[in-house]
Amino acid sequence: MLTYSFMQNAFLISIFIAVLCPVIGIFLVLRRYSMIGDTLSHASLAGIALGMLFQENPVLSAFLAVSVFSVIIEWLRKHFRTYAELILVIILSLSIGIAITLLSSGLVHANIDSLMFGSILTVTRADFYWVLFFSAISLFLVYRFYSALVFIVFDEEGATIAGLDVKLINYLFAILVAATISISIRIVGILVISALIALPIAAALQLEMSFKKTLCYGILFSYIDIFSGIIISYWVNAAPGGIIALNSVLLLLCVLFYKYKIKAKLLQ
Amino acid sequence: MLKINNLYFSYNNQRNLLININLTVNHGDYISIIGSNGSGKSTLIRLILGLLTPDSGTIENTYPTTAYVPQRFNQLNTHFPITVNEVLNCYKKVQKKSLTVKIPDVLKLLHLNGKENTLIGQLSGGQCQKLFIARALLGNPKLLILDEPSNGIDRQSQIEIYGFLRTLNRQDKTTIICVEHNLQAAVKNSTALYHIEKGHGHICLPQQYIKEHLKNDIGENY
Repeated sequence: MLTYSFMQNAFLISIFIAVLCPVIGIFLVLRRYSMIGDTLSHASLAGIALGMLFQENPVLSAFLAVSVFSVIIEWLRKHFRTYAELILVIILSLSIGIAITLLSSGLVHANIDSLMFGSILTVTRADFYWVLFFSAISLFLVYRFYSALVFIVFDEEGATIAGLDVKLINYLFAILVAATISISIRIVGILVISALIALPIAAALQLEMSFKKTLCYGILFSYIDIFSGIIISYWVNAAPGGIIALNSVLLLLCVLFYKYKIKAKLLQ
Repeated sequence: MLKINNLYFSYNNQRNLLININLTVNHGDYISIIGSNGSGKSTLIRLILGLLTPDSGTIENTYPTTAYVPQRFNQLNTHFPITVNEVLNCYKKVQKKSLTVKIPDVLKLLHLNGKENTLIGQLSGGQCQKLFIARALLGNPKLLILDEPSNGIDRQSQIEIYGFLRTLNRQDKTTIICVEHNLQAAVKNSTALYHIEKGHGHICLPQQYIKEHLKNDIGENY
């Protein structure tokens, strides 16, 4: 299996995706913004369509488009405080509108299936280098601003009073979300990216541990979800996105079973 | 010193919530801001903290360090996966200058030692309030602003917290501004009360307030 270059590329990319998705996901989930992943992954379709139109690498064009849309979401947050989910509907409509118009007009020709459901076969070495580049920058920025990000998510008002430039860090984080989504869609696919962002963290949260430990368990669960998903998808010849999503739900159910049946019994 | 001059404020250009507010807070004062619900008490401290901008008027804050203790039950997501140590560490690491106050020292001061690795969701209401006070003290504040510190916490914790605030004010000379719905605590602890009613504010001494409003209502427990 590992002798195929496309499998090597898929595994190499997955090493980074499996860390990046829960690292970004924990901040999104705790901000109650889990569905942003779904919206922005759809927005990436517009980016990919535009990239194909201008013959650019789809990872790069997706990143640029998703960055713009995520900055717009952050900006709109001020104007739709009460109905935050409305922002996601607005961006979803705009980006899907652009993507469908471009793809259906015949201006670009793309294999929509591989984008929607993820594909191991279409991952190239160029994609890997883009993933490596965005992952390294994103992980460095999260490491550099870790305390500030935790503080803002926990107590945004307190962070402002403590002197943090909350607005700037929020915009920076929006771009990190964009980078994570644009590098993940090749493997996971547009339709299930939010599963990879939210579900490993949802499972880790059930263990009721500190922020750092929750993040570590989120990364561990993410590795289990992705790698088992890729291996199973290779053997059953199915799109990896679907298998990864199913694995994520299954793992979450296992953790819930452990928490409410096994752990509860041991504590009795 | 904190000086508020001719301050007016309204939300979204509706009717004025605060009208011509004038208040001077001197070094070592303990001012309780009192008034009915919706009178603009919390809005006034949000203006002092710079979270809101006044329509007109000025706020001059010459204190080198200001810290804020939020209203616990409004702010807190009790399911947030964060420990006492992580809350304090995050605060310490985001400060621009290094802090001399040590985390174990503030935890000991507020009787939270031994709770370092406890999740905030597992703390009692009183312990949680103490954690936020501990976080504020890490910055060694000269001005400490609190929003209803006794809200939703048991009586014993209230006594401990107010005792601690009194010591902080009387011995360490930390200036305190406290939005207060607990009139007994306000009268007992404050050097002066700032009463906001229908947008207007006026300062009065606790004894004067008792005479005018509370008469025989004050207990001895605070």
